[in-house]
Amino acid sequence: MKGFKPSAPFLLLLPAMIVLAAVVVVPLLLSLYSSFTPFRLTRPETFYVFIGFRNYLSILSNTDFWWAFGRTVLLLTIALNLEMLLGLGLAMLVEKATRGQRVLRTLMMFPMMFSPILVGFQFKFMFNDNIGLVNNALQSLGITRDAIPWLIEGHLAFIAISIAEIWSSTAIFAILILAGLLAMPKEPIEAARVDGCTPWQTFRYVTWPFVMPFAYIAMTIRSLDVARAYDIVKIMTDGGPAGRTELLWTLVARTAYSDGRMGMANAMAYFSILLSIAFTVYFFNKLAAARTQIGAEW
Amino acid sequence: MDENSSARLKRRLLGIIYRIGLFLAMLTICLPGLWIVLSSLRPAVEIMAKPPVWIPQEISFDAYIAMFSGIGKGGIPVIEYFRNSLIISVTSTVIAVAIGMAGGYAFARYRFHGKSSVFLGLMLTRTVPGIALSLPLFFLYVRLGIIDTHFGLILAYVALNVPFTIWLIDGFFRQVPKDLAEAAQIDGCTRWQAFWQVEFPLAGPGIASAAIFAFLTCWNEFALASQLTRSVSAKTLPVGLLDYTAEFTIDWRGMCALAVVMIIPALTLTYIVQKHLVGGLTSGAVKG
Repeated sequence: MKGFKPSAPFLLLLPAMIVLAAVVVVPLLLSLYSSFTPFRLTRPETFYVFIGFRNYLSILSNTDFWWAFGRTVLLLTIALNLEMLLGLGLAMLVEKATRGQRVLRTLMMFPMMFSPILVGFQFKFMFNDNIGLVNNALQSLGITRDAIPWLIEGHLAFIAISIAEIWSSTAIFAILILAGLLAMPKEPIEAARVDGCTPWQTFRYVTWPFVMPFAYIAMTIRSLDVARAYDIVKIMTDGGPAGRTELLWTLVARTAYSDGRMGMANAMAYFSILLSIAFTVYFFNKLAAARTQIGAEW
Repeated sequence: MDENSSARLKRRLLGIIYRIGLFLAMLTICLPGLWIVLSSLRPAVEIMAKPPVWIPQEISFDAYIAMFSGIGKGGIPVIEYFRNSLIISVTSTVIAVAIGMAGGYAFARYRFHGKSSVFLGLMLTRTVPGIALSLPLFFLYVRLGIIDTHFGLILAYVALNVPFTIWLIDGFFRQVPKDLAEAAQIDGCTRWQAFWQVEFPLAGPGIASAAIFAFLTCWNEFALASQLTRSVSAKTLPVGLLDYTAEFTIDWRGMCALAVVMIIPALTLTYIVQKHLVGGLTSGAVKG
């Protein structure tokens, strides 16, 4: 008898599994453990003190945390929806273009090449209340005489961050939806027109269902990376003014590295991980459903 | 007015509205970047001027010269950061692509139990926010003594890139017809030879784009790098950019110049891969 013989796909996937286990899974288990301890960076001995769910309980009663949590969900909801809408609009604009489509497509990808940290810096510069492009333009055009304190006032700062986030990620949606539009067979649209559909009906019942899987691919890719808003906020306001733009991720970083409360930060980090996973699983399921629907119809 | 000419007018009007819409959209996309490039070339006085100077009076490369002339003059050691970024990004990309090729091939060519849940599991490891992952990694790296080293960051970036690389490469291998490799095997190739001589060259451009995508992820990453590196010997460019803002007075022109230096490699590489990237991401969408 031969011994245990692993199958080919198992062997092929083994390196990936090992790396991910070593760098992601095991550290996460460690952080899960330390979220049950009062671990502080300055006092290593606290790593071995087990306090059960006390960190989690104190988070639940922490209003700063819930504000940050709510703000994060709000930002993601606003950003993802607007990115989707704007991406769709942009893709349809570019698809309509008869000449220079290649150039337009390249221009459209422009924001994708910017790292989040650069996006943050660039909008910090543009929204600067004193020398920023936005205020200079508004003042030169005579729309406002006073400088608008974009990054200094809480609500305005949130808007500025949302704009930066949307600017940087609309491209992903636009590109993938454009790919969908270009891959779409033309006959169903013509058939719809012959049957007397209005342009809106054609879009709603013919184009949209076909493009949907592409939009969900974009959503899935985006949701893999929702936490990149951390970079943008970090450089634009660093959670300020007075914690008004604090997101879950900046709060985790502050608790861990500035306050040195690792145990507490790990407990918070688990909320942020669950949030990311929830977004991903949701869009992944939508994607799977959209795929099977397309498979059935075309 | 008869019906014909009013229809023509309406059409022309719609055409104009469309052009304006397209122009505004493209302007919004390009303006921030162009503004950064312009600001990096202007004297600092002009950037700070009130009322604003819209048309630059003089163009100079002073900011770039200052930046690359070392710590003494420019403020931050851009050359070292650039070197760190390059070493870390290239090494981790090569490793991630090698691992991703094996994994992607497994997903594209074999049927096995629990395939879709393994795939979802891989993707889920990618969803862990960098900052959440940095907490245990920081602790572990301090214990293992690999904090603030190239090796530590490379290891983290490989893990960061593997899931997405597998997704992309899986898509590219799917585009290569199965029959080709089978025909090669019938003609006497081993499976190994069939892979390297038939399937790999055909999926090559796609794999190259997956590599470039991985490279860009490393090149742009901030959350992990900002916590896992401390000194000039390992800091990458994105962390270096934050050096500028940490100071009380911000050197806007210098930051703009550094931003331009960061964006140029990304710009070139993205331009090269754009076509394949979209193809790879969407290849599964229609065929399932």
